[in-house]
Amino acid sequence: MRSNYGLGHYLLPIFVFFIYILLYCPIIVLVLFSFNKSPLSYKWVGFSFCWYKELFQSVEILAALKNSLIVASVSVFFSVSMGLFYVFYGTSRFLNRMIVFFYGSLIAPEIVLAVILLNFFTFFSIPLGLATLIVGHTLIGLGYVVPMLRNRYSEIDYSLIEASLDLGATRNQTFLKIVVPLLSPAIISSALLVLIVSFDDFLISFFCSGAVTLTLPMYIFAEIRAGATPVVNALSTLLLVTSSFLILILTSLKMRTRIF
Amino acid sequence: MREIRLSNVKKSFKGEVILEGLNLTIPSGEFFALLGPSGSGKTTLLRLIAGFESVDTGSIFIGNKNITNVPINKRRVNTVFQNYALFPHFNVFDNVAYSLKIRGLKKDVIEQKVIKILKSVHLEKQIYKSIHQLSGGQQQRVALARAVINEPDVLLLDEPLAALDLKLREKMLVELIDLQDVLKTTFIYVTHDQFEALTVADRMAIMNSEGEIEQVGTPEDIYEFPRTSFVAKFVGTTNLLKGILRAEDNKTFVEIENLGKFEALLPKNKKWVCNGCNILMSLRPEKIEISKTPLTGFSNCLEGQVDSIVYHGRSTQYYVKLKNGFLLHVFEQNEEHFPQEEIDYDDKVYMYWQKENVVLLEK
Amino acid sequence: MRSENLKTVFKQDRPFFLAIPAILWPAIFLYIPLVFLVGISFLKSFDYSVFDYSVIDALTFNNYRLLFSFTYVKILFRSFYLAFFTGFFCLLISYPIAYFLALRVGRFKNLLLFFLVLPFWTNFIVQVYAWFYILDVKGVLNTVFLKLGIISEPLHILYTPTAIYIVMLFCYLPFMVMPIYTSLSKIEKDTLEASDDLGAKPWQTLLYVTWPLSLSGVVTGFFLVYIPSFGEFVIPTLLGGGKIMFVGSLISYFFLDTKNIFLGAAFTCVSGLFLIISALLIFWIFRRYAKKVGGIYEK
Repeated sequence: MRSNYGLGHYLLPIFVFFIYILLYCPIIVLVLFSFNKSPLSYKWVGFSFCWYKELFQSVEILAALKNSLIVASVSVFFSVSMGLFYVFYGTSRFLNRMIVFFYGSLIAPEIVLAVILLNFFTFFSIPLGLATLIVGHTLIGLGYVVPMLRNRYSEIDYSLIEASLDLGATRNQTFLKIVVPLLSPAIISSALLVLIVSFDDFLISFFCSGAVTLTLPMYIFAEIRAGATPVVNALSTLLLVTSSFLILILTSLKMRTRIF
Repeated sequence: MREIRLSNVKKSFKGEVILEGLNLTIPSGEFFALLGPSGSGKTTLLRLIAGFESVDTGSIFIGNKNITNVPINKRRVNTVFQNYALFPHFNVFDNVAYSLKIRGLKKDVIEQKVIKILKSVHLEKQIYKSIHQLSGGQQQRVALARAVINEPDVLLLDEPLAALDLKLREKMLVELIDLQDVLKTTFIYVTHDQFEALTVADRMAIMNSEGEIEQVGTPEDIYEFPRTSFVAKFVGTTNLLKGILRAEDNKTFVEIENLGKFEALLPKNKKWVCNGCNILMSLRPEKIEISKTPLTGFSNCLEGQVDSIVYHGRSTQYYVKLKNGFLLHVFEQNEEHFPQEEIDYDDKVYMYWQKENVVLLEK
Repeated sequence: MRSENLKTVFKQDRPFFLAIPAILWPAIFLYIPLVFLVGISFLKSFDYSVFDYSVIDALTFNNYRLLFSFTYVKILFRSFYLAFFTGFFCLLISYPIAYFLALRVGRFKNLLLFFLVLPFWTNFIVQVYAWFYILDVKGVLNTVFLKLGIISEPLHILYTPTAIYIVMLFCYLPFMVMPIYTSLSKIEKDTLEASDDLGAKPWQTLLYVTWPLSLSGVVTGFFLVYIPSFGEFVIPTLLGGGKIMFVGSLISYFFLDTKNIFLGAAFTCVSGLFLIISALLIFWIFRRYAKKVGGIYEK
């Protein structure tokens, strides 16, 4: 390898290390203080699980959690199934070119999406609530699902589909028995992705959920605005742990498909 | 009879015409080979029969049934793909059983049939293995079993042995011939390798790079009596010499500039035959006898100087320069340990052949 | 050969309609509402129950005229500065990190990547809240600086623009690192070794070989940061104390607080246009630079 290492070569790891620390400092402190006995956030008093207890007893939080879960799972279901059908059955040349159509929700800033959805619902006097949230999250979900599935689908050896038809299967049978199993890593990845995105989403939830419905991010936002107790820390810590877990699954899936 | 008939088929891709005015009849129960160089359209032809492509104009029949517009999954045609196309998420059993499951046969019936067919391709020990654990040759046999279990009218094989090494290929060729004998299904075998085609085929068709069928016939027919220079050159090797046809004293001669007149047999039923017209003489290297001393008993003779020698163990090939500069390719079998005469570089040699062993071609 | 097949193979099957919902969804819930928004921006009032000529009566450019005032333009540019600043400094910090991960690290690459990506997946709101602990008067930053003697009095960072900029920078960092990392990791090692072999010093290889080859990642990363940052709502609202208005907070103000959807729609359209134009401008400048340097846009 190289023998002419400049000063930069040694500074670089230090710099990166420094940035990583800066990146994680806030989160680590947040987690630490979730165990802080005092409700006054910035002074460490003692170790306690009391905030976690309060967390699990809070009706508000549990309701918000329920809402987040419902919206997330339904959005995942809708976006993944619609996306899957589109990828396999949308084969005319027109639909092929339409793929750019789905990038709109990825490119536009989320606040624009949130606002036009709000407008749309108000105009048609659609009551704001879980349903409208699901609509918005599914929209975003499609923007992730369709490109991912499309990509993976184009990588499938096409002669496998030909072989299936050659052996007598109809298009639907080929879809169910061959395409879906082969796409399953991508299906699971995109489902997890949409799940995380939906669960974490704030803007669309904020605008489109109406006065009554709260999702978890909305709850946290309101609490911060109003002056938060470490219950928020506890909640955040748990969310962090769950996200990490899901990401671990996602990355291990991605790695396995590469070997495949 | 379930013969396959293509009638006036035309096929083009993105404006480029691959096949045009193609007519071909393949009798039922034969091992039929489609031989041609890359880009000759032979794979396209195969895919048209399978249904993966549809014709622009023309029709395809199996027996009396017009299958031109019948979709892939309803044709009684099955394909063995070049890359096998085995379903990676199924094991050997499930791959082979796929078409039976689709048809909705009962579980025990399926099991019986699958095991029977796997036995016939010598895979009974690999039934429940994942396909990733199989060697190339084994995968090839799974693909074969999967296609054959359906008892199709026609089995299409698209260069199935291309990915195997030489020894394995030779072994598989024999197995394929045996299989076809047993099943009596029509096999259509596409390849660019003439050795394969000559080995397996009952009859074969040669296609050229323009997508036209040059000749259809048995391997012997095609090899010994090629009808065009393309066939003569593509199948085996040959020496093609240009000359003028002359008829004298009830005998036929080919007059070649600077070399002389050579006797040949007049081709029958050839409309282009006429006294004084241009002609090509095709002389295969193995039909020539080479010698340093003059010999008798042959109809034709040429003299030349040895330009290069290639030793192949079983045979030696000589390239001999003729008076007009043409390099004549001669093939001699090394019949004896110690040959009676040693032919060396720059030696002056005589080359002899019989008039019956020459083929006259128009172009 | 493949797209030919699809028509042949599938032409006899009917379930084409199964693909329709996926197309309809963005059509109905994104593109039509978008048209709506533009339409509404030209109205001064709209009676939802009356669907006739009152629409034409209400047509006006007034909304757009109102927006030409200094306050609104100031807000647009403020958001522009924020977005550009975030993009630029994210680039400065991300590039070394991406470089390190792609070209320096061997064994721990996946681990480090995982830890880099993790904050990306943490809830945005949670991340912002975490920064409160650092930036508060009694927070980590002040405590550490006071202890080290760097400052004598605690800094009031929270609820000032400084806080906004800092948090934006760190929250958007992963967006920038990933694309740059991807494009750097696609560079073949041989290319860099060849540069060494030909006598280039490390900084020369970086400037003349690595940097141009990574430009596609740079531009992707930049816009992945620039575009959302422009319309960012959460961070300015939480950290700015609601006093400083950015595009995001103003749009929210129009639609949720004042319910003046017509002016709000007009402002959204204007900011959208501003965003597109500024993005295209930046992209155009970037292309000229890339052509000079020999990046991806060579023709």
